[in-house]
This record gives sequence, structure tokens and C-alpha cells, in this order.
Amino acid sequence: MVGTYLNLIVQGALLGGLYAIFALGLSLSVGVMRFVNIAHGDFIVLMSFLLLVLSSVLKLNVLLVLPLVIPLAFAAGYVLQRLLLQRVIGDNALLPLLVTFGLSIIVQNGLLQGVGADTRTLSAGALDVASVQIGGLSIGVLPLLTFAVAVALAFGLDWLLYRSRLGAHIRAVTLDVAAADLIGLSSVRVYAIAMGIVGITVAIAACFMGLRMNFDPTSGPSRLLIAFEVVVLGGLGSLRGSLLGGIILGIAQTIGGQIDGAWQTLAGHIVFLTIFLLRPQGLLPRY
Amino acid sequence: MRKTGAVKRRSVLKGMAAAAATAPMPLGAAFAAPRTLKIGLVAPQTGPISLFSEHIPFVLEQVKRATGGNLDIGGTKRPFEIVVKDSQSNPNRAAEVASELILRDKIDIMCAFATPETVNPVSDQCELNGVPCVSNDAPLEPWFFGRHGDPKKGFEWTYNYFFSADAVIRAMLALWNKVPTNKKLGVLWPNDDDGNAFSKVMPPPIKEAGFSIIDPGRFDLPANNFDAQIAAFKAAGAEGVFTVTPAAEFTVFWNACAQQGYKPKIVTPGKVGEFPPGVYPYGDRGINISIEVWWSRHHPFSSGMTGQSSAELADEYEKASGRQASMGLGFRHALFETAFDTLRRAKDLDKRESIRDALRDMDYKSIVGPVNFKKGPFPNTSLTPVVGGQWRKSAKWPLELVIVDNTLAPMVPLGGQPEAMS
Repeated sequence: MVGTYLNLIVQGALLGGLYAIFALGLSLSVGVMRFVNIAHGDFIVLMSFLLLVLSSVLKLNVLLVLPLVIPLAFAAGYVLQRLLLQRVIGDNALLPLLVTFGLSIIVQNGLLQGVGADTRTLSAGALDVASVQIGGLSIGVLPLLTFAVAVALAFGLDWLLYRSRLGAHIRAVTLDVAAADLIGLSSVRVYAIAMGIVGITVAIAACFMGLRMNFDPTSGPSRLLIAFEVVVLGGLGSLRGSLLGGIILGIAQTIGGQIDGAWQTLAGHIVFLTIFLLRPQGLLPRY
Repeated sequence: MRKTGAVKRRSVLKGMAAAAATAPMPLGAAFAAPRTLKIGLVAPQTGPISLFSEHIPFVLEQVKRATGGNLDIGGTKRPFEIVVKDSQSNPNRAAEVASELILRDKIDIMCAFATPETVNPVSDQCELNGVPCVSNDAPLEPWFFGRHGDPKKGFEWTYNYFFSADAVIRAMLALWNKVPTNKKLGVLWPNDDDGNAFSKVMPPPIKEAGFSIIDPGRFDLPANNFDAQIAAFKAAGAEGVFTVTPAAEFTVFWNACAQQGYKPKIVTPGKVGEFPPGVYPYGDRGINISIEVWWSRHHPFSSGMTGQSSAELADEYEKASGRQASMGLGFRHALFETAFDTLRRAKDLDKRESIRDALRDMDYKSIVGPVNFKKGPFPNTSLTPVVGGQWRKSAKWPLELVIVDNTLAPMVPLGGQPEAMS
């Protein structure tokens, strides 16, 4: 019995790593750039399809295609911010919400038109089923890798945002756009770079999501919901908080599933609401 | 006789009216061409269960070749047209396109197949609008009881032939019993029509056969995480696994099983193991996956449309497509066989009631076995034979389905004996 629950907690925490990767990009845009990207989940799904297509065209393992897609994703994020989102961010919080909602609809229907309604998964070859024994538990190599990437990303982005020069620029622009512009920072450029970084996290999320879960053109909103819960759980703008939030949500879902299959999703929501009521500022708030 | 005459006169009058309305049309044409019969087909061409539609283009081509677009009805040639609509694997969409076929295309008979998710909403639309509907490839219980059928009354317009959940479970129990295990069976039954029906129908016969069931509960689709279920199966020491999930879910489950070191001796993945493309991706991990078999090249039946035997039909498909023939092929072929048989026997093709009566009175030998809606376990249904099979390595294909148990249908020859998974 103890072994079963230990196993569930470990598997849940590994799943949480994936949830944290979903959330990191959203955490950046919500906490740092102060707008909610409703299309975040759809962007992840879009990238998964891109990876799927590229890996079948190039006949390469998805994990090898990912490094090729990352610069592309950065550029896409940069351009999207510069040409579209930049025009709507500002005092009116409703505008970016509406614009990204529109993007979400465009991406979903564009994908339906382009690739059909089929459910897909990505494959990393033999790695899909590889497993290691740790202390009597069988743990998949892929979930382990996902978790390691989540930790590295959370701490890496945290360092970037709060220890590096670029991070200082981003935070300066977040605090006061006018003042930042006054001291010679180009707020437009800084925002675009930040969105480019979000693009990178989206590509990484897309890769690991596709390897672990199945996806179809309409699975974006459910990914957004997970990401949103994780961001709020962890505390707005806190990247390490997102990691913690993801792990908690993953464990809650897995243990809920143990009680009854129908409780899987519900247990995640209940834990989210409970923590939100007790600690509305999140677990590791930055602001 | 008088009836036929009346209708002919009416259609002629209609034809003349049409000719008058479109003035330049020569009057002769209206006399020469009888009304084109319309057959509606709702198929999941895209989406999670699109695997079911794999054979449709081939079978439509076959139909075209065998009939030339004309049905020989009572000595006269009647042109017909098949209107195909995509359900996108979505029950709401299936109902929507079915009502389009009925109201806009004004079809004479509806055909549907591929799980209760497609067949039930289509059947409901037909029942509602009074259009005869013949369907297959939806298990009889979820089709009949899922639509709140009353065994005393049955339905008026809709008819379905396939296996029943009860027959499947008896066929699979016969197979499972021949593999030495501890008789503990883990089940993955989702919260959909099939999952809910199976969870009601299956446990009594499974327990009766001496198996215990580890059921972690209904889960919503799409599902992406089976850690809890795998943990439950491992904790209970389940040596058999029986799932009824779409292929994408089973892949997530089966990969996670390997990652977490769970190796059952029997695996029966319903909705996945029936299809070669469903099992190919697992490679050697697909060997000895066991599944119910409702049609194969070994089934001793033949087609009333082309005269082919099961093996000949399978060979033609494999030659034309370069893909392995699978169970669905027989039922796609049979669906048109039975629709044509209905139309041929209808006394008055301009009366839906008359087409329905022909459907109701069907007694037909199709490529999937005899179809007779008066003999089914429930009204409006007909049970076709089911046996048990396992996927094995073969020279021609990565994996090939071998019949390993024929307890329920001894006329189907055996190709091997049941084995445990390695």
C-alpha cells in the first residue's frame, strides 16, 4: 500500500513536470508582461503539429527536430508581439484578452482545416517505452527527462529574469514602460524578446506534451486550463512557483485517479480551489 | 400491380411538371429516366475513430464496378447514388449530417457504421424522421439499450447487425481461459457509450467464468494519464488487461505500462486491436495481443454482391491498397450488400414504409454471415459470428491476426492456439 502511494506520488510529480512546462510561458506573459494569453494552449498544440510534420518530413527523431524548431519559435513569438500584441497591450486589459481569444479560434480552425480532426501523438522511438529502476520503482525515462527539463527551465528562466541584464530590462519595462523608455530602453523590443522566450517554452512544452499525451486541433483550451491553474497555484510571475504548482497538480490528479477514474481531473481542480482559497497570492509569490 | 402503376403515373406527372418548369428540357427524358435512388452514408472519415473508414473508398469503388451505378430491381435498372458525409468522429456532428442527408438530400435509405458514437445518433435521426436505416459495426447492446430501446417494442425504422457485447465477452473468455493466468483482469472502461455499456454488461459473465475484475472506474475522454490505473493493476497483480479506449489512449497506456514495468500476460485492447494500423506501432510488443474477430479472410462466407469469398475479398483489397485487410472490410462490404438487398426486395421504392418492410424482413447471407433481424437477441438486431484471435508475426505483414479460438462459431477454422504475451 505504501509502495503504491509512493509510486503514485512519484508518477504524479513527473506528470507535474510536464504541467510546469505548460505553465512557464504563460507565467512569463501573465506575471511579467501582464497579459493573459488565451491562445497559449493552442500555440502549444500548433507547435506539436509542426514538430510532427517536420519529424516525418525530415525522418528525424522529434527530440532532434526540437532544436531546429526553437529558433523558429523564438522568431514567431518576437514577430507576433512586435506586429500584433504590441498594438493592444496597455491600460485596457480586455484588448489582449480578446485578441488572443481570436488567435485561439484561428489556430484551432486553421489546424482542423489543415491537418483534420485526427488525434495524434509524437514518438521518440525506443525512448517512448524505456524505463529505469529506482528504489524498487519503475520510472519511465521520458517522464524523467521531461521533469529534468522542467526543473532546468524553471531555474534557468528564473535566473534569466531576476539575475541577468536582460531580465533587469524586462522587469524595468514591466514596472514602468514610460520610465524605461525614458532611460533609453526600447520597451517594444524588450517585450518582443520576452515573447520570443515564451515562444521557446511553447516549443519545448509542445515536444514533451506530444510525447506523453495525445493531441488534436481542439486540445489547446484544456492545456491552457492546466497552465492557468499551475500559474495561479505557484504565484503570478514566480517561475519556481510554477514548478511547484505543476507538481502539486500532477500528484493531486494521480492520487484522485487512484480513488476513482472519474476523480482524476476533478481532484486537480479541487486541490487548486482549496489552495487558491487559503493562499490567493499563490505558493511562492513574486509580487 | 395497381400500386406500381399508380406510382409510375405519378412520377411521370411529376416529370412532366418538372419538364414544364424547365421549358427547354426535352419531354422524352422525363419518361426515360426513373428517379435516382439515394443511399446516405455517415462515416467517421476524420477524428479519433477515422480508422473505421479506411476501407470506404475501396468498397465504394467495388460497388461502382459491381453495379455500374445501377441496381437491377425486378428486371429493370434503377440508377442509384451514394451520398457520403463525414461525422468527424463526433456524435453531434453525426446527428447533424444524418439530418442533412434526410432533409436536404432526401435519401431513400440510410447506412451507418463505426461504434455507437456514430450509429446511435444517426439511427435516432432516422427513427425520428421515419427513414429506414441499416447499420453495422456497433455492438448490439449499446445500440439497442443506449437508445433506450424497449425489448418488447423495438424500433420502427432502424436495424443493426453486429456482435453483441455478450457474445464478445464469451468469445474472449473462451480465449482467456486457454492462457494460464491468475484470472485477475484489469479493465479500462471510459466514460462513453461503449465504456458505460461494457461496465454494466461485462462483469457478471466475467465473474461467472471465475475471473475477478479490477476496475479503477470510469474516466473521461480524452485521457492522458493512466498512472493511477497502472498502479491499481500492479497492486492487485492483474495478469490480464481488457480496455475499450480509442487508439491514442491505448498508446499512452501501453507505453506507460512498459515504462513502469507492468507486463500482463493477456492484453485485449478493444477499438485498437481490431485494426492492423492499431497494432503495428507496438512492434514486438504487439505480438499475442488478443482480440475478438468478427470477420477475417478465413471466415467461410461469400458476398452476394460480387460473389467473392472472404479470402478473395481480402486479397483484392490488399492488392488494390497495399494494406492488410482487416475486419472492417467485411462489414463495409456487407453494409452495401444489405442496403442493396433491401432496395431489391422493396415492393414500392417510392414509399419509405415499403423499404422499411423489406429491411425488417431481411434474411440474407452476407460476407460477414447470415443477417436476419427477426433472430437477433433483441428486436431490430441480428447477431453475426464472433471468434477470438491473436496477432502474430507473419511473412507478408508486420503482424497478422490468427484465429486461435472458435468456441462460439465452430464454422470458422482455427489457425493456431492461444499463447501468453511475452
